[in-house]
Amino acid sequence: MRTYIGLVWAVARKDLLVEFRTFERLTSMGAFVVLIGVLFYFSMNTAVVRPQDIAAALIWMTIIFVGMLGMGGTFRLEEQDGALTGILQSPIPLDALYLGKVLSNFILLSVMVALILVVFTAFFRLQFSGNPYALFGVLACGVLGFVSLTTLFSAMTARSSMGESLLPVLIFPLLFPVIRFGTTATDRLFAARPFEEVRGDLSLLAAFAIIFTFACAWLFRFVIEE
Amino acid sequence: MSQKQTQWAIGVLGTLGVVAVIALHWMVFFWVPTESTMGIVQRIYYIHIPAWWIAFLAFGAVAVCSAVYLWLGDDRLDRAAVTAAEAGMIFTTIGLLTGPLWGRVAWGVWWEWEPRLTSALLLWFIFLGYFLVRRSTVNPEQGKRFAAVIGIIGVLDIPFIHVSVTWFRSLHPAAVVLNPDGFAMNLDPSMGATLGVGLLAFSLVFAALFLAGYTVAGYEHKLDLREAASAGARGAEA
Repeated sequence: MRTYIGLVWAVARKDLLVEFRTFERLTSMGAFVVLIGVLFYFSMNTAVVRPQDIAAALIWMTIIFVGMLGMGGTFRLEEQDGALTGILQSPIPLDALYLGKVLSNFILLSVMVALILVVFTAFFRLQFSGNPYALFGVLACGVLGFVSLTTLFSAMTARSSMGESLLPVLIFPLLFPVIRFGTTATDRLFAARPFEEVRGDLSLLAAFAIIFTFACAWLFRFVIEE
Repeated sequence: MSQKQTQWAIGVLGTLGVVAVIALHWMVFFWVPTESTMGIVQRIYYIHIPAWWIAFLAFGAVAVCSAVYLWLGDDRLDRAAVTAAEAGMIFTTIGLLTGPLWGRVAWGVWWEWEPRLTSALLLWFIFLGYFLVRRSTVNPEQGKRFAAVIGIIGVLDIPFIHVSVTWFRSLHPAAVVLNPDGFAMNLDPSMGATLGVGLLAFSLVFAALFLAGYTVAGYEHKLDLREAASAGARGAEA
């Protein structure tokens, strides 16, 4: 078990090292977050719509779009350099490879979620007086559910002739529950509603994240094999 | 089953299906009484409900065949899955088209963000992805595996989509056939009979489409194998 976790961490650490040395994905994702905040602000008539009322939708839409931008290229580096063949020939179990990729993507997207909260709070003067632990739980479970599916499908689209343009078509219908439960719970937390009102959404987000992480870990071998 | 027997079975199922569809339309337009609350527009249910039942049956078959295909790697299961998905798409499209026709009269709008409509639309898009991914790979074997993965993930996602949309306020009429009071307990016998004929008609059409599609896919597979063999022989001669 310890060795298995070590393998998962080795894959995640490799991806994070590459990312923190080049800052390729983080730079483009970070710039995207700030720019989408600017665009949202100027596309909204703040005299009619209060940003506070649609904060949850803005946050979740930005998470999904920035996630697509960053996670879509999860396997691009390995595919370009032919490194994937080397990784596949190594004795690492394929589910550990998948879970390592999920872990690195989860960490990267969590950094972006923190940035989204900071940027949107500043731009839209959002006020949060709800339960911060519940918000943390909702965002963590939602991000894990999103990342588990996107990592699997990015491996698929990396090998398709349509490339990353196929990813949104495949992933958006499947992500509907994450967006639905995520926005409902975040909306209630921004309205400072009690935890009991978000318990159901949080439980379903957690169930979604767990089920799809395990299912995708098992199905990954059928996607990655030549 | 020999080639002749298969053709005969497709012909019989197809003919029976067409006859049953004609009988269904006669019953819908001339025989079944008009429902008291919704009026004449309710008659579209006899097409709409069986279409959805068959669509769900087809997508269930896709998930089962996909899972067993990934397990055993038998090409026949992949052919069964893709044929069921094609037929499922046809019946889902019928369901998606007949629903708004009814909605325009009953609700006054073509589309409403209502639980079942939303789930149905998402289901349609999940299976659109199933076909897109299949055709976008250079290696056909890879395309088959990718499609099977989507088939399984799609079916795993359906309960979550269902729960997430049922938390909306629903405008859709409550189920009258599969309801908590019992099977078709509140349904007039003539309406039940029309619905039964609809289900039989669509089942026969589905069976004919499935068998025809599966047979054609089998011929294509044989043709591919023959072409690959002759290309190999030409390579060896050269």
